[in-house]
Amino acid sequence: MVKRLLAILVLLIIGYWLAQGLANVPFGENKMLVGQYYLDHVKEQTGAVNAVTAVVVNYRGFDTLGEVTVLFIASTGVAALLWRRKRKRTAKTKGSVVLTTGTKLLFPFVILFGAYIFIHGHLTPGGGFPGGATIATAFLLLYMAFITYEIPHRGFEATEGLAGMGYVLVGLIGLAIGGYFLLDWVWQTWGFGHENLGRLFSGGFIPIIYTIIGIKVGMELSGIVDNMLKEEVSE
Amino acid sequence: MNVLVAVGEFLVLFGSAFYFLSTLGLIRMPDVYTRMQTATKSATLGSLGVIIGAGIWALGDGGSVAWLTKTIIIAVFLLLTNPISAHTLIRAAYKSGIPLWEGSVVDKYREAKARAESGEEEGGEA
Repeated sequence: MVKRLLAILVLLIIGYWLAQGLANVPFGENKMLVGQYYLDHVKEQTGAVNAVTAVVVNYRGFDTLGEVTVLFIASTGVAALLWRRKRKRTAKTKGSVVLTTGTKLLFPFVILFGAYIFIHGHLTPGGGFPGGATIATAFLLLYMAFITYEIPHRGFEATEGLAGMGYVLVGLIGLAIGGYFLLDWVWQTWGFGHENLGRLFSGGFIPIIYTIIGIKVGMELSGIVDNMLKEEVSE
Repeated sequence: MNVLVAVGEFLVLFGSAFYFLSTLGLIRMPDVYTRMQTATKSATLGSLGVIIGAGIWALGDGGSVAWLTKTIIIAVFLLLTNPISAHTLIRAAYKSGIPLWEGSVVDKYREAKARAESGEEEGGEA
């Protein structure tokens, strides 16, 4: 009881302190410095209509590379923590017929929608990470509905690594062509897509990068799900 | 005020009314199963009304056809997935032993399972 009261008291003090700090921040006023630059130049500098993905992939590509690395480490870490020589799925209850049939029907559409999200990252909200998460959801659905389903590991892990290498490779091509790492060579050097801004074939290398990221994130999260669902079997 | 806008507004109102009824059912119904029924049936119908209504409304209000296309896709997706999720939830609830409302008369599923007795617990086509 005393512990809980103390915790509430401390939290209230911290909350008051944060509120005091935020009280001086003028909400709803225009105080963009760098943001105004992004909004003004995003179209002619990157070819993307979606300013968020342009910032994430183009202006601050290093952060995205870091995020992809973090996800990769998370997936590897889960695999390393849960590693056993003999692990199997030990689920015993199969989903009902309605669920399995529905899953079979839905699976391709969920994959399709995930691919749609990451291919259109430069035009619509979304991008590689939501698209990849959607694809992982499709595999989670399979895991939930069927007791024997397992992702094909060999292919999945190879694809994951290749996609990660692809991202770095795209950055290195920028280094070779234009002079610095993660330079948007499709847009800056080739000028590809200059005339059809706002359509699918525009946005410089954002669609390429986001396709790579989407595939990678999808495989990684599916791998994490797979690792967490399996249990050790004693033989 | 053209016809499409009126139809869209009517559909949104219709859907919202069903949302309200669905929420009311959640409060009023006695046990999990009846609550699930009100929650899924009327909420699905309500969402269909609201979603398609928004698409038609946008079409009449000068929006592009893209709105209607997207809303129809979302509506079809909801129409297909909501019953499946409801079915799975109810089945899981039954299997984890949540009792029926004390006023319910007949439980054929348990009778069938008792008759089958040994093994084949999962065989029941729910």
